Amino acid sequence: MLPAVLAIEAFDRGLDIVALTDHNNGRNLPAFSEACSIVGICGIYGMEVNTIEEVHMLSLFETLDEAMDFNDYLETTLPRFKHSSKLFGDQMIVDLEGNEIGQLDMSLYGASSLSVEKLVEQVNHRGGMIIPAHVDRPSDSLLANLGFIPDLPYSAIEAIRIPCEADVHGKTVVQGSDAHYIEHIGRRFCYAEVEQVGFQHLRKAFLLGNVSYR
Amino acid sequence: MTAKDLSKALNYSISATGNMEGTVTDAYVGDLLSDVMGNASTDSVLITIQAHKNTVAVASLIGCPVIILCNGRSAPADMVEAAESNGITLLETTDTQYKAACRVATLLGSI
Repeated sequence: MLPAVLAIEAFDRGLDIVALTDHNNGRNLPAFSEACSIVGICGIYGMEVNTIEEVHMLSLFETLDEAMDFNDYLETTLPRFKHSSKLFGDQMIVDLEGNEIGQLDMSLYGASSLSVEKLVEQVNHRGGMIIPAHVDRPSDSLLANLGFIPDLPYSAIEAIRIPCEADVHGKTVVQGSDAHYIEHIGRRFCYAEVEQVGFQHLRKAFLLGNVSYR
Repeated sequence: MTAKDLSKALNYSISATGNMEGTVTDAYVGDLLSDVMGNASTDSVLITIQAHKNTVAVASLIGCPVIILCNGRSAPADMVEAAESNGITLLETTDTQYKAACRVATLLGSI
């Protein structure tokens, strides 16, 4: 799924805000950023980090620069082994039109050396939003891998099913599509009550619990 | 021993036949695939509860000819398909990883 296609589809499906969170990297965020500007949708720049516990965490930033800066840092925490396209698929970097401008040689499949706690600290320190992904999924989640949700300063918690049965420590539960294919875009979403569409307003809505579900 | 002989001796349920001629000389027990990738040796049996197709990709990368899914975990269709196309033998059991490991160790002559 191309970054531009994500922006267009999200807009067509009536979403106001969409985040691109590729696995362990943000190399396609520049193309996504361009696309969001053209399409006129509010883009959030992030990545789905695979922590040392193999828990997926959404690391979201307001600006492309902040996200790419974090990406550079994240890459230093990933194990160095060569990627196998045959086994794991291509790791392409594309431009706005979807032309391949590079391939990532280093595999993104592994786990970062960052723990959940350390990652939360890093993202918050950088002014981003950190949201544990799909906490109730049977793999790659806090509940599957740790058995509970540690009480840490997340911006929100993402669950597949609402209500979330685990103890979320008073955090707001949000829903997202986790779209790997075009058809998935908008399959799960939530509403946030905001004064204006934007990253900081979204953060405030999460903090205050001004979120509702379909 | 071969994957074929190991599978026969264990008598676990076979979800994917794979290439039964593969050699097994070692085993690795692990559920964090990043750990398995870093530490499992080639020609190992992977003893795990991670019942999804990424386990097959990792096993293929390392050169594990056999995967044993424990605790009654069942391989979804795409995992079975991936195992078949990668020539990996996929076994399923209600045994715990400890029990499966002990059995494999006995068969490999490690204990």
